[in-house]
Amino acid sequence: MDDGNHGEELRIGVYVCDCGRNIAGTVDCGVVTEFAQGLPHVVIASNDKYTCSEPGQEVIKQHIREHNLNRVVVASCSPRMHEPTFRAAIQQAGLNPYLLEMANLREHCSWVHINEPEAATRKAMDLVKMAVWRAALLREQKELEVPVERKALVIGGGIAGIQASLDLANAGYQVYLVEKEPSIGGIMAQIDKTYPTMDCSI
Amino acid sequence: MTDVGRHPRIELLTYSEVAATTGFVGNFNVTVRRRARYVDEKECTACGDCLEVCPVVVPDKFNIGLSTRKAIYQPFPQAVPSAFVIDMEACLGHNPIACGKCLEKCEKECIDYDMTDREVTLNVGTVIVATGMDVYDPTEQDEYGYTRYENVITSLEFERLINSGGPTEGHLVRPTDRRQPERVAFIQCVGSRSQQRGKPYCSNVCCMNTVKDSLLIKDHWPETDIKVFYMDIRAFGKGFEDLYQRSKALGVQYIRGLPGEVEEDPATKDLILSVEDTTSGQLEQHRADMVILSVGVEPRRDMESLKGLFTLSATSDGFFMEAHPKLLPVDAPTRGVFFAGCSEAPKDIKDSVTQASAAAARANILMSQGRISVEAITSVIDPEICTGCAICANVCPYHAIIADKEKRTPAVVIEASCAGCGTCAAECPFGAITMRHFEDAQIIAQIDAILEEDPMEKIVVFACNWCSYAGGDFAGISRLQYPPNARLIRTMCSGRVDQEFVLHAFRKGAPLVLVSGCHFADCHYIDANRWTQRRVEKLWDKLEREGIRPERLQLEWISAAEGQKFAKVMREIEELRKAVTPEEVEETKRILTEKAKKPKKKPKKAKKEPVEVAKT
Amino acid sequence: MAEEAKFKCLRCNHEYTDSYDPDKIEERSCPKCGSNSVRRLKEEASKG
Repeated sequence: MDDGNHGEELRIGVYVCDCGRNIAGTVDCGVVTEFAQGLPHVVIASNDKYTCSEPGQEVIKQHIREHNLNRVVVASCSPRMHEPTFRAAIQQAGLNPYLLEMANLREHCSWVHINEPEAATRKAMDLVKMAVWRAALLREQKELEVPVERKALVIGGGIAGIQASLDLANAGYQVYLVEKEPSIGGIMAQIDKTYPTMDCSI
Repeated sequence: MTDVGRHPRIELLTYSEVAATTGFVGNFNVTVRRRARYVDEKECTACGDCLEVCPVVVPDKFNIGLSTRKAIYQPFPQAVPSAFVIDMEACLGHNPIACGKCLEKCEKECIDYDMTDREVTLNVGTVIVATGMDVYDPTEQDEYGYTRYENVITSLEFERLINSGGPTEGHLVRPTDRRQPERVAFIQCVGSRSQQRGKPYCSNVCCMNTVKDSLLIKDHWPETDIKVFYMDIRAFGKGFEDLYQRSKALGVQYIRGLPGEVEEDPATKDLILSVEDTTSGQLEQHRADMVILSVGVEPRRDMESLKGLFTLSATSDGFFMEAHPKLLPVDAPTRGVFFAGCSEAPKDIKDSVTQASAAAARANILMSQGRISVEAITSVIDPEICTGCAICANVCPYHAIIADKEKRTPAVVIEASCAGCGTCAAECPFGAITMRHFEDAQIIAQIDAILEEDPMEKIVVFACNWCSYAGGDFAGISRLQYPPNARLIRTMCSGRVDQEFVLHAFRKGAPLVLVSGCHFADCHYIDANRWTQRRVEKLWDKLEREGIRPERLQLEWISAAEGQKFAKVMREIEELRKAVTPEEVEETKRILTEKAKKPKKKPKKAKKEPVEVAKT
Repeated sequence: MAEEAKFKCLRCNHEYTDSYDPDKIEERSCPKCGSNSVRRLKEEASKG
């Protein structure tokens, strides 16, 4: 493996999450944690019931400070689910949020190999290894800040578009409401009385 | 509705459509095409003088053809803006010799036959998609005779008939003899909950709409005999069960069973419904003066263009797909875009209003900050290596790279416009482009980690963040089981998958590689995955030339909603993996390793460029 | 204009003929197994 550590000593922390029984019901998280501990640059590997919980995040933050961690690998659910959570957590402990890597042990492993616990555990170890090797090469990134135009476009002038336009306009934003037909109103305008109030639609 | 018309901060652009968009969250640049109304919207007072003289009569779309209107018209009396419009397809007046009567009559001189469509450009920070739905056309369900029998109507036609502003001024009459019906039958789930015709999903609104309609009829004409034919009555919302019980208490009969056929009695034009009452198992016949088909809700047929404009996709039901079905139900996958109403799924008015307010609140969160940070996943070009060939600028879906092929100056990335697909990095023949957070070395490390031990047992899968990786997530959420041999490497877009990644995997002993991404229509980077396909096609040719079976490189487009497809593909490629022999893999490793040792045919061109970058 | 070309599915080995426009890149799926691993067989196409 390339040790491209960008000129610093790599200190990786790995956090294997049970997700209650969601992961630990299939994958042997103890074995995975032990395996992670033996991977290059891993300073500490720890196993938690719910890594995304407040105490779970607290453990990561504490370790970053105590062990001078400079990379964090969380082996839990899909990054599409909790990457923002853990990025924020490591940022609070002073690490650049891009120094986080996740291994998807839940959606891509425990939930889809329920009847093959041993194979699932082997796969989980691979996923953690992939994440650790990648984490070793991650770099700090700076996010670009852009100004936001304080105007909104609403496409469609039915009941939903009307409500959204009024809410935004009343909140103080300029709203452009684009409607295909010559009048707003949509399907709702064609309806006589509406449930549950049994009153007029327009 | 009128509140919108007079709100100082709402600019209403009716008779208009979004034609083009560029930009990104916080800074969308939207072009809106405004169709010519041929009537000055601001000056017209809707006095109606023009109506009296217009000689053209056409079916009225608002009343679903149950009445007529003129070529110059107002869609309905409460229309906003309160202004007329000329239907130019029907109007004779483009040529004043032919007609021009309304022009003569209009005292305020609002009418202008020469008005043309025009385009306006808007800069907005957020977009709310509230494009609504279409109503199911029951023509294909011929057994109900919608097109054959005049007294069979849809629930939306019924709304117009019973509306005091409608064509009959609210008198419920049946079309054949304009007589008030004494026996009315409703048929539920027309176009809904069917695997064969219409849509497989529940349209959400039709049960309660029928309950409401039954109450309206009973309210006006209590003697009317009403029968509702249904498979389930879904009255789950607040106050809904109460309305259902009220309807039953007023004598509306709910009969569990959908008619197999509706026939007309030619003499009386009455309708005979044949049905099995599934609570009793009895075959029955019921006579009705009028049959109302409770039609379902469909995705809008014109939503395709919007999908392309804002890089949106649809779930399997055809409605717009949200960023997360449970946790981000209002957000589109494209940041800064939100959904309200039926564009996302069938909804009643209350739910549409609720979601609209939620969408407004979500948009408010983004806009109130004034500034937002954009993910740092963008590409960076090394001017020392770049030869100025401009391939990157050519493949960039966002035109975010400036390059001049003539001058051969190093290409430059406009960071704020770069969406981070990584296609440029994959296509650069000189390795001059680094994709931040998805660098070559980072991805190669993942491949190496997969193949370090037991490579014969593993399948290397490249999956894009938005679709195929998410499809894998959905397979997980759905607990779909598949073989445990695949290892996924996530990239933002399949366009990032460099051909070198694939060759590297084969060199390291991978029996099988899968490249996966979004369906073409769903690509989150406009059309970046077209380059994925081209690259895979080139790789197939290359592998074949080298004596490697092209079948060992697989390609698949899997949407975020296609958990089933993801699991199926995983099962299929596992079968392909099993067919790959250790000898074959060793041979591949030998071929590709020798190839890699040979000097590359693309030496870094030390070319002279007008260097502006200050060097130390 | 669209011409005809031979395609082969690299998943199930099914071979078939379909319309093909060299100027357009299209999403293809095998009519037999539905896979997108569909390769255009170029030798055949060049005859057309």
